[in-house]
Formats: sequence, C-alpha cells, structure tokens
Amino acid sequence: MTDNGAEDKAAANAEKTDEVEYRVTAEGVEKAFGDNKVLKGVSFTVERGTATAIIGPSGSGKTTLLRALNALDRPDAGVIRVDDVEIDFSKPVPKPEVRKFQSRSGFVFQAHNLFPHKTVLQNITEGPLVVQKRPKDEVIKEAVELLDQVGLAAKKDQYPYQLSGGQQQRVGIARALALRPKLVLFDEPTSALDPELVGEVLSVIKDLAVEGWTLVIVTHEIQFARQVSNQVLFTDQGIILEKGTPEEVIGDPKEERTRQFLNRILNPL
Amino acid sequence: MTYYLRRALLAVILLATVLAASSITTACGAPDSDKADRLQSAGVLRVGTEGVYAPFSYHDASDQLVGYDVDVARAVGDKLGVKVEFVETPWDSMFAALEANRFDIVANQVTINPERQQKYDLSDPYAIGQGVIVTRADDNSIKSLADLKGKVAAENPTSNWAQLARDNGARVESVDGFAQAIKLLNQGRVDVVVNDSIAVYQYLAKTGDKTVKIAAQTDEKSEQGFAARKNSGLLPELNKALKDLSNDGTLPKISEKYLKANVSGAEAQQQAPPLSAWKLIADNLWPLAKAAITVTIPLTIISFILGLVIALGVALARLSKNRVLSNIARFYISLIRGTPLLVQLFIVFFALPEFGIRIDPFPAAIIAFSLNVGGYAAEIIRSSIQSIPKGQWEAAETIGFNYAGALRRIILPQAARVAVPPLSNTLISLVKDTSLASTILVTELFRTAQNVAAPTFEFFALYGTAAVYYWVICLVLSFGQSRLERRLERYVAR
Repeated sequence: MTDNGAEDKAAANAEKTDEVEYRVTAEGVEKAFGDNKVLKGVSFTVERGTATAIIGPSGSGKTTLLRALNALDRPDAGVIRVDDVEIDFSKPVPKPEVRKFQSRSGFVFQAHNLFPHKTVLQNITEGPLVVQKRPKDEVIKEAVELLDQVGLAAKKDQYPYQLSGGQQQRVGIARALALRPKLVLFDEPTSALDPELVGEVLSVIKDLAVEGWTLVIVTHEIQFARQVSNQVLFTDQGIILEKGTPEEVIGDPKEERTRQFLNRILNPL
Repeated sequence: MTYYLRRALLAVILLATVLAASSITTACGAPDSDKADRLQSAGVLRVGTEGVYAPFSYHDASDQLVGYDVDVARAVGDKLGVKVEFVETPWDSMFAALEANRFDIVANQVTINPERQQKYDLSDPYAIGQGVIVTRADDNSIKSLADLKGKVAAENPTSNWAQLARDNGARVESVDGFAQAIKLLNQGRVDVVVNDSIAVYQYLAKTGDKTVKIAAQTDEKSEQGFAARKNSGLLPELNKALKDLSNDGTLPKISEKYLKANVSGAEAQQQAPPLSAWKLIADNLWPLAKAAITVTIPLTIISFILGLVIALGVALARLSKNRVLSNIARFYISLIRGTPLLVQLFIVFFALPEFGIRIDPFPAAIIAFSLNVGGYAAEIIRSSIQSIPKGQWEAAETIGFNYAGALRRIILPQAARVAVPPLSNTLISLVKDTSLASTILVTELFRTAQNVAAPTFEFFALYGTAAVYYWVICLVLSFGQSRLERRLERYVAR
C-alpha cells in the first residue's frame, strides 16, 4: 500500500528546503457528541517530518481532535488532509475512502489495546500481513527490527499479558509503525503507566522524532512536549487557543488560560 | 494448525449443507399423485407401523421387524407384486404421518369404526378380537365394564380402548404402547388395562406373568384393517389381496404363527425362556452403540455446526444498527426460546407437509435442531462479542481492518474464549435432546432402545444402557471442553 517508509523519510529530510510541505492540514474541524460540541472549528497544519504536541485541560477536545485525524471519531464538518488523501467530512464519505485515509496514519492508544490473543510478533505483523498482504519474510524481518528498535526483540514470542505496561506500550508503538504510516498519532501514551515506566516510552517516541517521523502527540508531559516537539497546540473548550513553537506556547504563553493550565501542571501543589 | 482446523470445519459445514439440501429436494420431488397407479409403477407399498406393539408389530430377538400385521402387510405386498417398505412411527403420530404421505397404509391393528371410516379408507378386517379388561391377579374388584368407574386405566390416549375406558368412568393415563401399559399395571400405578384379547394372551404366554389376569370381557368386538388416506384408490386392491390370502390359507397361517399358539398357551411352554436382562444388554450393546455412532452423534454434530452458523448470523443481525435486521433477529430468538423443541420438531416434520414441503426424518431433525441451537447460541455469541472491549475494535480499525476482518481476526477469537463454556452447555443439551428425534421416525439411540425394550418388557436394562451411552458421550464432550478452554486460556494471565 505505502511505498518504502525509510527511503521516504530520508527523502523528506533531504528535501526540506525552502518549500514547506505539509503532512497534515485540518480546516474547520467540528465534532459534537449529542448536544456536547467538543470541537468548534479547529484548523492547523503539521509539517512533514515534525512532531506536534497537543496539550490542554481534560475535556478540551484534544483526544477527539487526534481521533479525527484517523477518523476513529468521524468529524461532523471540516476538511482534513493527511498525506495525499483529503476528506471533506461535511459530506457523506464512502467507506473505502475512509479506510484509505486511515491507512495513512498509525495510532497508539492510551490503553495500548494490544490483541491479547496474539503474541508480540503477531500483534505487529497482523496489519502488514493480513491487511496489506505484504510478503511474510519481509514483514517478519521488519517487525523484528522494529521490536529491536523499541528494545523488545527478546519478547517477540510472549503474549501481551506477560509484559509490563511500558513494554506493552512500546509494542503498541511498533505495531503502529509496522504499517509504514505517513503520520503517527499518540493518544496520551504514558498516562496509563506507572511513573517509573513513563521514561522508557517517552524515549522511544523521542527517537522517532529524531529519525524524522511525522508525529502528533496528545500529552500531559509538558517537559517532554517542550523537548521533543516542533509545534505545540493548546486546546481549550473546543478550539485551539494558542499555537506556536514550544518556546512560544510553553515558555512564554500569550493567553491567560494557557498560563493557568501550565501553572497547574508544573506546580501541582 | 488453526488454518487446517478452519479448512476442516468449512468442509464439514459445506458437506452438511449439501446433504441437508439434497435430501430436502429429493423429498419434495414426488407429489402425491395417482395413488394406485403410483403403487404399481413405484413398485413399493409404504406401510406405517408402530414397531413396539407385540405381537402385531415389533422387533424380534434378531432385531427384525415382525408381527401379525407386519407379516400380513408383507403377504399383501407379495400378492400385489410390490415391495413393502415399513416406516416405523409412534401410534400418536400415525395418522398425521399418513396424511403427510409418509406412507400409503397403516398396518397396526387399526380398529374399524365409523369416525375412522369417515376420515380414511379402511380395508376389510384381517384380525377380529375381543376387548378384555386386565387387572392385577389379586384384584377382584372388577367383574365387568361397569366396575371401571373411578379406576385408572393405562391406554394409548387416541385408541378406541382409551375411549371405552373413559366412557365407563375410568381415568386414562397416557402410555406409548401396550407393553408400557402392562408395566404400569405391574407396578401398581394403574388399576386396569383394556385391550385386545389377542395381545393380552400373547403377553401372558410370552412372559409367563402370573401377577396379572383377564378379569372381564367386553362386548367390544374389534375388527382391525388397513387404513389409507381417503380416496386413495387402494381399497379394491387391498381387499382383493386380503380375500385371496384368506382363501389360500395364508392369513390363518400367519395368525397361527403369532396368535393362535399364544392363545392356546400350549406352545408357549416350548418357547425360549425369557432372556436374562444381562444377556439382553450384552446382545444389544453393539446395536445401541451403532445407533449412537451412526445417528445420534452425526445428528448432534451436524445440527450443532449448522446451528452455530445460524447463531453467528443471528447474533450479528441482533447487534446490527439496522433496526429491521435486529428486530428480525430478536423475533427469531424469542420464537425459538419461547416454544418447546418437541413442537418445533413436529412442525418441521408433520406440519410442513401441509404446505407441500416434505422432508425426510433425518434432515427434518437436523433442520429443527439447528434452528433451535441457532436461537440459543445466538444470545451466547452476542453477549460474548459484546464482552470484548471497544478498544479492540478500534485497534483493529487503525491497523486497517474492515468490519468483517476485525470480527474474524480480532473479535471472534477472543469472544470464543468467553463463549466456549456456555456453548458447551448447549452442545451437551443437544446430545440429549436428539432423543426427541425418536418421535419423528429417526431411529436413533433412544428409539433403538425402545424397539428392543417393547417386546421384552426389560425397560430398566435397555433404557439404562441408553442412558449410560448418553452419559459417556457427554463425558467425552466435557473432557473436550476443558481441553479447549485450557487452550483458549493460554493468553490470559492466571
């Protein structure tokens, strides 16, 4: 389905000249659950090969926004383009088109959502083998490499229940990467973990950013967002209240609400 | 490994479907046409008979269907130059089965009376008997029909004997055959059995039973003949054959063989002594096992697999967002769970022929059982699918699966673990429920035991053996269940 991811990434880095290339563009995205308007017209762009962190208070719509980028929650309105696929959600969208759209991104869940009945390796190869129908030898080789990359090559034949929370989440990341997505989405990847396991997951994500993957990360780890991301979006009450570089949004927030939020997070007592 | 299992499963399902479909079409193929001509051209006379009503229709020690009515029917077939095929049917469904064109005539001591004459073609009589009242030997309270008032009689509920007992003030306990009636009398559960003198003499001679006696005779002369569907066109031929058989001495000879010897009692002494119960069990271990292996087990397996396929479809329909679809599924489940399995069997077998759908016994049983399993298992499958967290559907979606793919690869394998214990329950119930197929002419394990038990009066030995067989099958299934559960639990933390 996708062409060779590694080469693509290399090319992306090489081509990063003066012409800006966007991996994601979102325009006027709206979503309501019943009477509750969660997204009230959100627009932003994500440059190819960059990491974007979405921060904001609970209920501000950040997870819904992330899920919209993968059509897990279908927006009610708005146009989203991921790589070469653009969908106008205000119109009825045929299912194959949605699946094509979804195939451009990988998704890492807060609660990992690994398939408990499959081994670590099978979790990773399921998509490439069964959905993308790529050759078995190639898929397994790549999966083992990915496991090596997240430091779990030794665990490939174990079942998810035999792993720690941090290990499960790293397998979840490898599973998303195995699909060779153009964009990887992270939904609070560390908030279900014990504090001592957070580091191992964040460092894997950091490596991905360095490698040049295009990432969008919903997170409460402000320091991590500051270190890793090229762009920070602060969402509040269904809109993006503030966006910019980490230095701008986290280091020197313009909006009062952003300041309040950061203050609460960084100085909980 | 799982790949081959899946392939094998698929093959079995296909095979079962093809089998069921083919027998339906062949059964529906021949309409009820041209009667007597059909008899000659088909070359077959299909005869409905009980097979558990000694000495008229029963299985002898070598499991051959014999008896007075059976031999007379065979002789009539010879006279007419056609082959005789017997269809063993419980008495209570005999006329329903006749109407449903399961066979052409009934040869089962059908007593000629005006009501029957209105509804059926009845031949000239080939047996004439007298009604007698049987009591326990020590019971002197009954001297005539009038003394039946307030007593309890064991009778076939639809027989003329039951009517006679009721008319004289007795309460009638329903039984399935004469043998069972006598058993109840022996056990003191009823006071009297009213039946034909011939059957009673045969019983006394055969068993040497001294605990019962003929207490009184009735004026009831009974004339027994063949019954055919109204306007069957068969009567002239049947009556002519019977007359020929009477004239050439065949009928008296058959009568001699089964009846006169027993009436005289002289030859009864020379008869082989009753088999011991152990010998009977030993002799019938294999026939019963064979019935279990060739009928009960295939019936269970095919019905269960088809039932699971139906159940999966119904469960998915029930979970569907389409209101029409989910309501149809709801209705189906409610209907199946809200009606007795026995009634479902009877509808498929005895009622559908009224609409021109005639299905052979075995496929009819498979249809009824699979529909039944489908209703029960649908709810199990639905709840097991719903027990899988929503995150699993979402994860499957993000790695590119559509609905069917997610269901097949991700959801169902996990749901299976949840569903196996309750589905095993359904399977084990099904094994035992297949005994109900005996009522729609399927000669499975229980029916085979009935056939052997009826003429020998050894109910405990044979029904006990059948019970042991059912139990063994269920033990094996329980063992398989725990192995399967252990296999499916391998990915769960303990």
